[in-house]
Amino acid sequence: MAIIERPGTGTTPVVVTPQQTLGAVKRPVATKGWREWLFTVDHKKIGIMYGVVAMVFFIIGGVEALLIRLQLAMPDGQILSADKYNQMFTMHATTMVFLFAMPMAGAFANYFLPLQIGARDVAFPRINALSLWLLIIGGLVLNASWFLGGAADGGWFMYAPNSGPIFSPSHGVDFWVIGLQIAGVASLLGSINLIVTVLNMRAPGMSLMKMPVFTWMILVVQFLLVFSLPVITVALVLLMLQRSYGATFFDVSQGADPLLWQHLFWIFGHPEVYVLILPAFGIISEVLPTFARKPLFGYPFVVFSGASIGLVGFGVWAHHMFASGLGPVSVAVFSVATMAIAIPTGVKIFNWLLTMWGGKIWYTTAMNFAIGLVVLFTIGGLSGVTHSVAPSDTQQTDTYYIVAHFHYVLFGGMVFGLFSGFYYWWPKVFGKMLNEKLGAWNFWFMVIGMNMTFGPMHILGLQGQPRRMYVWTEARAGEGFFNLGFWNLIASIGSFILAVGILFFLINVVITARSKQQAPLDPWDARTLEWLTTSPPKAHNFDRIPVVHHLDEFFHRKYEEDTATHTMKKVAEGEDLVRAEADAADAHIHLPSPSYWPILLSIGVGLLGLGVVYGIPMMVIGFAITLFSAYGWVLEPSVAEEIDFEPSDNDGNTKEIAPLG
Amino acid sequence: MDTVSPVKSLTRRISTTVAGVAGAVVLAGCAQNAPQDTWKPKGDNAQMIYSLDKLVFPIAGIVGVLVSALAGYIFVKFRDKGQAIPAQSHGKPIVEIVLTIVPALILTVVGVFTFRTIMDLAETQDTEMIINVTGQQWWWEYDYPAQADQGITQPIITSGQLVIPEDTNVLLRETSRDVIHSFWIPALNGKKDAVPGRIHLLRMQADQPGIYAGQCTEFCGLSHANMRMEAIALSKEDFAKWVANQQKAYTPPAEGTLAKEGETTFINQCSRCHQVNGIKDANGKAIISAPDENVYSGAAPNLTTLMTRNTFAGAMFDLVNQKCRADVWDAKSEEFGAKYLAGVSEDCLNEKNLRAWLRNAPAMKPMYADPAKLEKTNGLYRGMPNLGLTEDDIDKLVAYLLTLK
Repeated sequence: MAIIERPGTGTTPVVVTPQQTLGAVKRPVATKGWREWLFTVDHKKIGIMYGVVAMVFFIIGGVEALLIRLQLAMPDGQILSADKYNQMFTMHATTMVFLFAMPMAGAFANYFLPLQIGARDVAFPRINALSLWLLIIGGLVLNASWFLGGAADGGWFMYAPNSGPIFSPSHGVDFWVIGLQIAGVASLLGSINLIVTVLNMRAPGMSLMKMPVFTWMILVVQFLLVFSLPVITVALVLLMLQRSYGATFFDVSQGADPLLWQHLFWIFGHPEVYVLILPAFGIISEVLPTFARKPLFGYPFVVFSGASIGLVGFGVWAHHMFASGLGPVSVAVFSVATMAIAIPTGVKIFNWLLTMWGGKIWYTTAMNFAIGLVVLFTIGGLSGVTHSVAPSDTQQTDTYYIVAHFHYVLFGGMVFGLFSGFYYWWPKVFGKMLNEKLGAWNFWFMVIGMNMTFGPMHILGLQGQPRRMYVWTEARAGEGFFNLGFWNLIASIGSFILAVGILFFLINVVITARSKQQAPLDPWDARTLEWLTTSPPKAHNFDRIPVVHHLDEFFHRKYEEDTATHTMKKVAEGEDLVRAEADAADAHIHLPSPSYWPILLSIGVGLLGLGVVYGIPMMVIGFAITLFSAYGWVLEPSVAEEIDFEPSDNDGNTKEIAPLG
Repeated sequence: MDTVSPVKSLTRRISTTVAGVAGAVVLAGCAQNAPQDTWKPKGDNAQMIYSLDKLVFPIAGIVGVLVSALAGYIFVKFRDKGQAIPAQSHGKPIVEIVLTIVPALILTVVGVFTFRTIMDLAETQDTEMIINVTGQQWWWEYDYPAQADQGITQPIITSGQLVIPEDTNVLLRETSRDVIHSFWIPALNGKKDAVPGRIHLLRMQADQPGIYAGQCTEFCGLSHANMRMEAIALSKEDFAKWVANQQKAYTPPAEGTLAKEGETTFINQCSRCHQVNGIKDANGKAIISAPDENVYSGAAPNLTTLMTRNTFAGAMFDLVNQKCRADVWDAKSEEFGAKYLAGVSEDCLNEKNLRAWLRNAPAMKPMYADPAKLEKTNGLYRGMPNLGLTEDDIDKLVAYLLTLK
């Protein structure tokens, strides 16, 4: 377990000190500079690194998107060759899904999940670090392909047999397969870690139904990952064996059925959609109540609708395959199941709206983004209902109508949710408020840009423009002023407005980082436990593990109900509560020490993977490093020496954590 | 926070106006006569889908407007006007139940109609004609098995344009020779993937003569964007004429003409892959092409009646020039058949594109045709290579190809 507290009485456990090596290497002790980050196992530092990595990939994926829109702004675009364009849209989707959206959700989950449940870290801190480094290695392998002979060019869905060695002869798909396997291991480890954390490490009194909705949605997502990632991993291994070692799993001449890949991919791929959106749903389920000054309307319904979206999400994968020749009965079943999933999703929308009903709405940037999600996701959800109707979908699938739909869901939904989270939690993480004025520019440019980019795609798709074409032709663009050329141009202009919106965010980050002004402890009059500590939180999160009595515990410590009017009256400030916690701080808090092994093991795994492309010697080196790291990991002293357990000093306010061993 | 409100209400007013204008623009903003418009059905099957759309889209639209209106109302009504922090109510189960049941009922109605349409679109009992459709990188082959009741006494193999009789239930049997493609003529039906190793069925029926555009819609590699198709519906009499023309015996060009020299060039340069039915070499021996020895998919378009089609190279380039193309595409339904059956005359030929193609095909359409990079396919091309023809050869070939109608 993460938190090793010194036993108060009784027998002293056998303690291995950091100086002892057991034949391996000592634990790192640096708590300053770059080493502090490379070897950390602190969930908050890991969370921040997840965020930085995800943001870098967001920018890379965004530049890829802009190149795509530049190419399509005019008929017969000349910016990209067919080959480069195919790589570009493959990597745009892969990057945005696996290297931006999932890690960014991971950033929020890592940072806030332990704080929201009143824990001091995650259950397995070193595995947490391993997840991060594996993800980074996976992302690097994926993107290294650009410089090593061309990126993957089969689309993010990588349908067989087009992904086979004959049809995609460059090494792009090999890098893709290896990178995604590594990133997949990272996600799988992370999901197990977070499930164990939620189930075992909640503060006393926090029953599952008193858990914040964000934590709930993250929990559902981790279960989705645990059950769906193995499927894509199998598919990726099969594809790797086929491409690099002559296997014939998807080779029709050897009796294979290429639809096998599609089933494997989408059994993962559809739950993945909810893996992407549910964290954003969780974020705004925190933001909307905070700024409406009301608890989430129908908390159990929101929780159960989230869980049922997760469950039903496993039964709708074939709606991605309505045109692939499943047979009418399968199509009908998946069509109806897909309609069914609209019901719990609709429940969520209504609950968010009713949360605001009767509230006292405070429009901040975080709130604007949350509202943006509700409205834009509704549009995306309704277009989603139109293609749950399988016959209609056979007209819509693989056209820009689908592109419009999932960008409303994923950009208008997921990305807006994440941006809401940035503005909401920035003061918690960095102790400084993001500038609200720049936030308004950020928000409005993104709203306008996003609607200009993806709105016209509804028209483009319904009027017959297919996706994944490196050029479109005037011969199929129709007539009149508002022909498809016009809408392609509008979409391209919109994408640059969107990019400017995101630029405002980056500027905001820089300005905020340079500002000296500290954020108030409780700037939003928030509701959940992560605010019951300093900003940024101390390494050990909470001076005292809080005892939970309410959903929205922090709010109920600040407010009491006026029994006459049923309105709420503030009885304590956040600062008072945090000070009270510090005054009653736990003695003998001990935190896990940093470790060399997660990052080293990740490098070993990366080399092992690259060996698939570069041959046995590299594989041997990678394997040796992996094995050595695993050995070191297992034998690593896990508990710091006795001297670390310093008693707390008595003034109460300045209690120091013992130096990390 | 109170100071934000006036600004907010202004921006809200602006955004409402913008949204209203945007809505109007969207409704008025669709392209006219977009050839692949999914909401301009021209046959029974597409009509069935469109009827579903006419049910589902208004429902989605109405729900969208209602939810947006509710949201807008809430955003204005419950903004912070200095009121007290409200009671911390956690919701009303009855509201939740109603809000679950109402969408469930709406979706049940949609589901019933959807189910029925799925089954109707899978119906094959009413088939009157069968055409085998085979996709490969990056063109479609149409193979008409002999079926006497349609006047087809010997198989016809063509490409580029799928020709069908009007008002006839045609069943396409789709497959692929390499990767997955998807056959889609939006005006006639939704799309269906052509998967190697499988045969998928797709109904086609056109109400009246005309030309209907389509495009491959499953990503199929490098030149996916350059894999188009056109469906041609002809009146039954015109279709009979088309069939008769496709089945007629080969007439070699007259001796001493440029076209005759072109035939020799064709035999030397093209007939390894491209079949022309009935063509004979100098010794009078029938020439059978063997594309499987040169091309990975094992097929190349049959050129027997090339000039009866308006397009070539995966329906990517027009064989007819702009003026003649417009003449056919814009023809009234009753005049269409005659114009189409006229084929490509010398005056109408789009010589520029055809010559450029013969000069260097991979430069016109990206293909895996670089002889130095074919180790994965054991030297087989995927697409047409650059044949290195001289201008002289090209002149002769163009003259010869013009005779293939």
